[in-house]
Amino acid sequence: MSAARRPDADAKVRGAVEFGTDLSADGMWWGALVLAPVPHGTIRAVDLSAARAIPSVVAVGAADLPRLLGGAAGDPDRPAFPGQEVVYRSQPVAAVAAESLSLAREAARAVRVEVEERSAVADLEAVFPEWPGPEAARSPHVAAHVLARHGDVDRELGGAETVVAETYRTAGVHQVALEPHACLAEIRDGRWTVRTSTQSPFGVREDVASILGIAEGSVDVEGTWVGGGFGGKGASLLEPYALLLAKEAGRPVRLALTYREEFLLGRSTLPLVARLETGVRGGRIVARRVRLLLDVGTSLPGRDFATGYSIGFLLGPYRTETFEVEGFAVRTNKPPFGPHRAPIAPQAAFVAESHLSAVARAIGADPDEFRATHLWSEGGTTNLGQRVGPFGLAAALASARARAADWRKHKPPGHGVGVGLGFWSTNTGAGGEARLTLNERELVIEQGEREIGSGSVLVGLAAVASRRTGVPAERVRVDYRGTTEAPFDSGVYGSRTVGALGRAVDEAAVGLLAELGRRLGTPAPVTLTLQDGAIAVRFGQEVRPLPPLLTPEERSGAGLVGAGRHYGQAAEIDASRVVDGTFYPYQDFTGAAHVAEVDVDTLTGAVRVVRYAAFHDAGVVLDPAAARAQVEGGVAMGLGTALTEEALWSDDGRLLNAGLLDYRIPTLGEVPPVEVTFLEGYAGAGPFGAKGLGEPPIIPVPATVAAALADAVGVHPTELPLSPERVARIVKAARPSGGTDAAHPG
Amino acid sequence: MSATAPIVTVNGRPVSLREVPGDERLLDTLRWRLGLRGTKEGCRSGECGACTVLVDGAARLSCLSLSRDLEGTTVTTVEAVGDDPLGRTVQEAFAEEGALQCGYCTPGFVMALTGALRERGRSATSAELTADLAGNLCRCTGYASIVRAVERARSRSR
Repeated sequence: MSAARRPDADAKVRGAVEFGTDLSADGMWWGALVLAPVPHGTIRAVDLSAARAIPSVVAVGAADLPRLLGGAAGDPDRPAFPGQEVVYRSQPVAAVAAESLSLAREAARAVRVEVEERSAVADLEAVFPEWPGPEAARSPHVAAHVLARHGDVDRELGGAETVVAETYRTAGVHQVALEPHACLAEIRDGRWTVRTSTQSPFGVREDVASILGIAEGSVDVEGTWVGGGFGGKGASLLEPYALLLAKEAGRPVRLALTYREEFLLGRSTLPLVARLETGVRGGRIVARRVRLLLDVGTSLPGRDFATGYSIGFLLGPYRTETFEVEGFAVRTNKPPFGPHRAPIAPQAAFVAESHLSAVARAIGADPDEFRATHLWSEGGTTNLGQRVGPFGLAAALASARARAADWRKHKPPGHGVGVGLGFWSTNTGAGGEARLTLNERELVIEQGEREIGSGSVLVGLAAVASRRTGVPAERVRVDYRGTTEAPFDSGVYGSRTVGALGRAVDEAAVGLLAELGRRLGTPAPVTLTLQDGAIAVRFGQEVRPLPPLLTPEERSGAGLVGAGRHYGQAAEIDASRVVDGTFYPYQDFTGAAHVAEVDVDTLTGAVRVVRYAAFHDAGVVLDPAAARAQVEGGVAMGLGTALTEEALWSDDGRLLNAGLLDYRIPTLGEVPPVEVTFLEGYAGAGPFGAKGLGEPPIIPVPATVAAALADAVGVHPTELPLSPERVARIVKAARPSGGTDAAHPG
Repeated sequence: MSATAPIVTVNGRPVSLREVPGDERLLDTLRWRLGLRGTKEGCRSGECGACTVLVDGAARLSCLSLSRDLEGTTVTTVEAVGDDPLGRTVQEAFAEEGALQCGYCTPGFVMALTGALRERGRSATSAELTADLAGNLCRCTGYASIVRAVERARSRSR
């Protein structure tokens, strides 16, 4: 079966779409950043004079901010350039622009940066050599603290027949969008104008205004086509620097990261350590204690969202009456934490699922049966007391178990088969608006997001409008406008585009149809159709041409306009269970069960995934081809998290593998065929029952591969990624004493 | 050095290399001197394949090629590869299979597959072709749809 042709396919195969890196303008200069040479220190001098002495060069640093910003004071907690202290290596301390990129680089090298180095700490376990107690919540090393509990955990653990206690560690991972961050800034008619590759033009506008201390209304952000986001392009990164350079140079300035810089100062997901204790009595879990240390780099206090969101994933989709969860967002001398497709959820699912299997094995139970008996039930509540709506995870698990049983029958020696679960939510709480314009030729969706690749904007929003109105998708055009003209939207993140912005589109479509019904004077439902190649109005058995229903202004203008907005309400959790911090409730639950078969080389520790199946509850699937593509891509990305991807930081905050040869993402030929199945019957709150699918496919992957590895070698890993070194080590440790290495030649 | 002006042919047009510095990469000549920005800049170090072009019909990484070294050769970029039936077939295969998402790696894949099919001819196997593309990274698709596009292009180009 051939997939439906995406509306952007023809332009993309010709290389004819303009990404952030492709931007240029007449008279443009090229920017470059000056990066802190050490991970932590006191700034003694940032001397720009040698750079400025080069003809056709401008340079800006902290000292220039008041002059360039007209005395405006930006957010003192996150100035564009630090004045006194650098807190991570590669933190931008100045920026230059010149008439060529090579000259800009030369000027950047000419900037003299004098920093008195101070001790840096980049290993979160070095920050807290002993596990921190609640008093550490007020430590300057802690950006956020969350604590929730229900019941008496100590008493229940004390009365348990079996208690399993484990510690897990996972590595930091980079998004690795192929397109580096890039933007083009200019001061146009006194307005701060920037074109940029972003998942959130309105988010960038807000960030720029906050960082520079200027009014949001004086900032115009126009998104370009985005060469991959995965969370890395959700907030502003380069735009404030580019705007300052443009202001200083009095001309447009292009600023892009090199790929090495992308690794060094991009916001990535950082390591975590988790400790879990689970007590079992009579074959049932009676109590759990989950504790998390999450490295958030130099994230500012109050700006960490990850801890209060991700900690729920460590409990997994499993109900426990008595529990305690406590998490610390630990500050280290690394760039601030950044989201990476379902931030922390793949790592947390690996921890939760591996631990649950360990608990099951400790009491002689089948791990997958044990999963099924503890799973949240639809209509029930989560551990934090949140109601669970339509949720297909139990059905997905049943399908996955059947597939795993089938694969186990045929697996050769050295192979293992495992099942892993993951859940997520569609972030329908973040708001958005859309405008629809209808004429005889087309239905236009005006909105404020660029397509980042998933298809959620160009395919997803068009599918919603088409399905609601009856206008064929090829006659629906998704139009993009910059922040000055477009209706507001929060951003393409959180698997929310179809589920939240799509609801604004749907509301606008419903409004258009209602207005046509009013003009027709019919109580009958109105839809649209094609008649002789023109969009026409259908009600009952009648079809009427559109133009007579339009006002003269609408006929001579763009057409009939309808507007929609969706600002969702946050779900509720049981506040009596929260002791400290902010726990973010999940919206619309989505879930998936995956199955992997792996081939393990016990000598080298190499793990090869030979086949893979993914069973997803994605609500009502609006575009099967786009949905399948999300799962195929998400699984591949998850295989990277599972097997090879690991940001290697030295103890003092130097990134040791800032390149694609040393930070290995999956390549063609390393990703097995992925069988994709969508379970039907679990409608979500999105339009027509859609749920978000951008992030869910990556979540169960490391857990699933780890389960298959455990099946193959008889011992389960407690660290990610499952690199050959780690796998060889755990295989060796599990062997009977004496080892068998000598039996292997060579 | 030849006495006549050094020339490289890009998409059928002669381009003088006289003004091009000796250390300028083909990637930069194409993108910023000639405005051919369909060729994408990724890692600039030969690790991602996004900048792949054809030099005398063979796939080559433009980020690792110095323009002055290409005197006398013929360079084809994604802007012109569709003028040729084989290149058009490859572009169609990617579009029909939906073998793209963000599209940033797509020009490199199109060029690499076109080069591989040209070099291997009618006897090319899927395994050979996917091995030829192993140096092209894609972060969005998980490669499944790209493998389907390779198969479609292979069967169409026989």
